Amino acid sequence: MEIKYTIQGLLIYITIIVYLLALLASIFRLKKSGQVLYLLGFIAAVISFGYRWYHVRHVPMQNLFEVFLCLGMIYPVSLFCRYVLRIGGQTADMLIGAVVLAPAGVIFSANPLKLPPALQSWLFVPHVTVYVLSYIFMAKAAFHAALQLIGKNTGPGDNLLSPEEATYRLICVGFPLLTLGLVLGSVWGKRAWGDYWGWDPKELWSLASWLVYVGYLHFRYMFGKKHPRINSIWAIAGIIIIVVTLLWVNLSRFFPGLHSYGATM
Amino acid sequence: MVLIAMLFFLSVYGAFLGPKRAKEFFNSVPLAVYWLAFIILLILGIGLFRRLLRVPALLLIHAGCIFVLAGALWSSVRGHELQQKLLGIDKIPSGFMQIYEGHSDNRVILEDEQIRELPFSIGLKDFQIEHYKPEYLYIQSRQGDYWKCPVEIGAEYFLSSEYGTIKILKVFENFKIQIDGENRVAIDDPGPGSNPALEVQINSPDGQAATRYVFERFPGQMHADDELFLSYQRVISEYISELRVIRDGKVVAEKDIQVNHPLHYGGYHFYQQDYDHQTGRYTILEVTSDSGLTSVYVGYLMLCIGLCWHFWINKLSRKRERTAKE
Repeated sequence: MEIKYTIQGLLIYITIIVYLLALLASIFRLKKSGQVLYLLGFIAAVISFGYRWYHVRHVPMQNLFEVFLCLGMIYPVSLFCRYVLRIGGQTADMLIGAVVLAPAGVIFSANPLKLPPALQSWLFVPHVTVYVLSYIFMAKAAFHAALQLIGKNTGPGDNLLSPEEATYRLICVGFPLLTLGLVLGSVWGKRAWGDYWGWDPKELWSLASWLVYVGYLHFRYMFGKKHPRINSIWAIAGIIIIVVTLLWVNLSRFFPGLHSYGATM
Repeated sequence: MVLIAMLFFLSVYGAFLGPKRAKEFFNSVPLAVYWLAFIILLILGIGLFRRLLRVPALLLIHAGCIFVLAGALWSSVRGHELQQKLLGIDKIPSGFMQIYEGHSDNRVILEDEQIRELPFSIGLKDFQIEHYKPEYLYIQSRQGDYWKCPVEIGAEYFLSSEYGTIKILKVFENFKIQIDGENRVAIDDPGPGSNPALEVQINSPDGQAATRYVFERFPGQMHADDELFLSYQRVISEYISELRVIRDGKVVAEKDIQVNHPLHYGGYHFYQQDYDHQTGRYTILEVTSDSGLTSVYVGYLMLCIGLCWHFWINKLSRKRERTAKE
């Protein structure tokens, strides 16, 4: 536990508070206020990320603290889902934004680190960015899967997809990103460490999470919407494996490997 | 679906083994049979499920997986043994080279400590380590006060009214003590070796000055009566090995390799892997064969294009069609 009495910490806490206010406004059906607060929260998240960038002098995606800062900028994904994919869940996105920033605010160390030679590659930013994006899409997919399991539906006048369809569409968007992350990581591994597949725990857990979604897509193709509960459980299992890949592998002593620099507590 | 589920459980199991044992496990004979079965079933799947042939994006995805798996098998140790038996190609799958500055070598040490020779030699002109600037002197008092001072010759930093100031006098790359009669003189030895150090002067508020040497390699050294703990830390930004490839006594290629910038020559990649931590006089290179790599990369490309095409472009265009109809 590390409360940050710094400008960086202040920016994170402001973002969390604004996201939570946006969430409250949305819950109490103050739609416009909720939207404005959500946008303000996003601006605060961008400033926080930008401040970190200026502070460490490289794109801040080196460790869990920085990755969680990046995950906090969820707003554009919300807009994309709402207006391109016709998928709701903005209120949940406000909560996701606050929840992912909480560990950055109170758990992970903000100690700035120089990039080690292995991370000085043009593949660093695309590899992490596509993974961060895919994780956001998969988290949203899991949220809609949970909605399907508890029997909640979108409002009739909203012209939005049903939770089951929303889950599928989100996975359809997130899965190529997840694959791209895996492939870019592999190409980078070849350039930096000499092997495109090092059997590192992080790589194997990433493969496991990829395979869960491969399984989901094959099952969904074979049975369509016949077994919506199984589809939903599958999508939730996917995000659980992603959490394991992102957190447990980096933080646990069970899994020493090449990706250990990702963990700084 | 069964093979996907199996691979999922194998991946999770492998993650608990650690990289070295996982590599042995996934390269074992039973797993080689599993990989082969996976490839064969993918090929059969493409033949049996007509949709995979009719939809080019799906064909690309599944064919891409075949290319990746086939390339991986071809590049494995067993794949190299097969290459030798079937095609007479005798390549070293992977190993290490230790080369001293100004020397060349063609011997590769394999994982089982056998030594094999490359048909050409690799020479090391020079090995350098670069550090991030500025470097820092870290100071901590017994009470837990903490200061971080950029290393700059002549710079004097005020610590507190209790501890006074600290001045950086000299920076040594290779600190040595020279005995000159009865005097001991600290020198920066230009000869081989590396012993980075700082000479600093602590000026206490009562006007007393004390000189201290701070060594990067020996953090934690302090006199029993010292009030301040000093440490000199540098962060490595890059390792650089200036290599040249020598074939039949002639230099045929040259490259300064760094992490992320390997040398590719004669069917092998040469990577900056490690170095002589004591004196910095030799470099350690990782050597890997490039067999199967093209197949893997082509597979990756097919997989990514296929996925983007199928899940993004196809779905979006279908959505547009639907919207137009509405």
